[in-house]
Amino acid sequence: MSLDAIARSEMETWFSVSQFYSREARYLDELEFDKWVGLMAEDVRYWMPIVSNKIGRDVGSELTVRGELAHFEDNHESLSNRVRRLATGRAWAETPPGRTNHLISNVEIGEVEGDLVNVRSQFLIYRSHLETDQEIFSGTRLDKLRPDAITGWKIVDRTIILDHAVLTQKSLGIFF
Amino acid sequence: MLDQGKSSHFDHLVALEKGEINRAIFSDPDIYQRELKQIFARCWLFLGHRSQLPNENDFIATYMGEDPVIVTRQPGGKIGAFLNMCRHRGNRVCRADSGNQRTFTCPFHGWTYGNNGELKVVPGHTQVYHEELDMEAHGLIPVARIDDYKGMIFATFDKNAPALDEYLGDMAWYLDMALDRREGGIEFLPGVHKWRIKCNWKFPVDNFAGDSYHGPVSHGSAWESGFEGMPRRKKGYGYEGFQINAGNGHGFGARWAENEKQVYEMALPEFLDYEKARFPETRARLGDLRGMHLSPMHCSIFPNFSMLWQSGNMRVWHPRGVGETEGWSWCFVDQKASPEHRDLVRIHDLQRHGTSGTWEQDDVDNWVQSTMSSRGYVGRQVMQNLSMGINHEIEDPKSIHPDMRGRIAGFQNEINQRSLYGQWAHMMDGNGPAVPGTNA
Repeated sequence: MSLDAIARSEMETWFSVSQFYSREARYLDELEFDKWVGLMAEDVRYWMPIVSNKIGRDVGSELTVRGELAHFEDNHESLSNRVRRLATGRAWAETPPGRTNHLISNVEIGEVEGDLVNVRSQFLIYRSHLETDQEIFSGTRLDKLRPDAITGWKIVDRTIILDHAVLTQKSLGIFF
Repeated sequence: MLDQGKSSHFDHLVALEKGEINRAIFSDPDIYQRELKQIFARCWLFLGHRSQLPNENDFIATYMGEDPVIVTRQPGGKIGAFLNMCRHRGNRVCRADSGNQRTFTCPFHGWTYGNNGELKVVPGHTQVYHEELDMEAHGLIPVARIDDYKGMIFATFDKNAPALDEYLGDMAWYLDMALDRREGGIEFLPGVHKWRIKCNWKFPVDNFAGDSYHGPVSHGSAWESGFEGMPRRKKGYGYEGFQINAGNGHGFGARWAENEKQVYEMALPEFLDYEKARFPETRARLGDLRGMHLSPMHCSIFPNFSMLWQSGNMRVWHPRGVGETEGWSWCFVDQKASPEHRDLVRIHDLQRHGTSGTWEQDDVDNWVQSTMSSRGYVGRQVMQNLSMGINHEIEDPKSIHPDMRGRIAGFQNEINQRSLYGQWAHMMDGNGPAVPGTNA
């Protein structure tokens, strides 16, 4: 492949993934949670470890690892159940629902592993709830995406690294 | 209003004979300041579990009330706890949440303390302090007493506090249902959920102490969506159980199994194989009442420790002002549990409880709303109602089982909340000991 073709192929992937993330963010902000779950692969792993403050030789081990406590550790079934819960009308923390804006940025295409592409992105999410409750979530997502004929991509693995050690948000009732 | 009548200031706010409490206790900043002094500086508070400090020089940072403390495992294994506050300008000497260090150096001027609290280095001790600063008298401020019950580390800032065993009373014996049901006890998984909730700290403590009433309404959505908390009600006995009050403001709720078969019917389906495997050991260790009949669900230990036994969840509610609370939520497992069972407990716990918990999210909004409504002038004149089952306690607990301790009532009864606020008033009132009826 010529350099020009490689560059064009990278741009196409970047453009396609960026568009996919914008669509995903819109589904979440417009409360289209069934469509959002539809972007998840059947074998998805959705995981948010916990960050804590470390110093000295512990710098670099701020995040909990697999097998330790996490904020989220979901598969397709439990993510679908979380969405079903929201649809009951009695999920009081989201009744009435919060208003969110998911801003997804710094999309960086990483290595290809077999049929998966690694993508790093960053998010800033604003949530307003009831009268004056306001929450801001910031962090990084590390995704493994698989091409899909219908949705463009499917999310096979998502690690969400929230910047907050003590969450100032009253709960993690939204998706990332 | 607060000083009228014969009853003291705080008894007046808590009318236990009617099952009523004054909502000012959730919104009055002066009452909150008194709580920091009378409750959080005098009661035994939970600091952590020994499994969080496996090695010499390990430490964890936590809080007692609003005071930051460091819990250290010193060379030789001794566990101590100290105010995380330099004796010079008051800065935190430790900014990490956990780690392994022999010394703590204040980032402001470099005063350095050993993990036994001793002040070891003061820069310029000779040149600028002329060796006049008494190093021995300026160590980190230690807690007055520290002790542990089967791995659970508690401390108090009150040197006159009763012994921990006395403070926990019958609750310690009941806690064995978690701490001592298998050889080796329990351990905490690494990682803790920490989050801020705009509620008064007493609402979650109240909820975990004895509110088995809110489940079907508050948590209906989670229940229906695949996040069951316990097997569905079985005809005839599903809701049979007891609220058990162990005294001193400590209490828990447990369902009742008549026999081994019913233990398994009430077990969470994903835990069933493990429950069957561990049952004979537990029954042999704890006997029939604690090893079979009681399936404990929820619990609070005064003032701010709570747990959910089945879900492997323990937590502390740190006060952060009259209208804010910081929840810390851990997952615990039997030390002997298999890797597979540990995974099941962890995932069960975090999908229901803590920050993203499908149960907890809805609780949090309830506590926020209850706190908000205690701020309005008119609303806070309306007494909060804790009257459920007030004249329906079980008169003779030993008639239920000869080993039963404490006061008991049916599973749906606010006996534990009444005890919680009774202990609250007792502590707030004066300078009497944390265990009513004992000598300071």
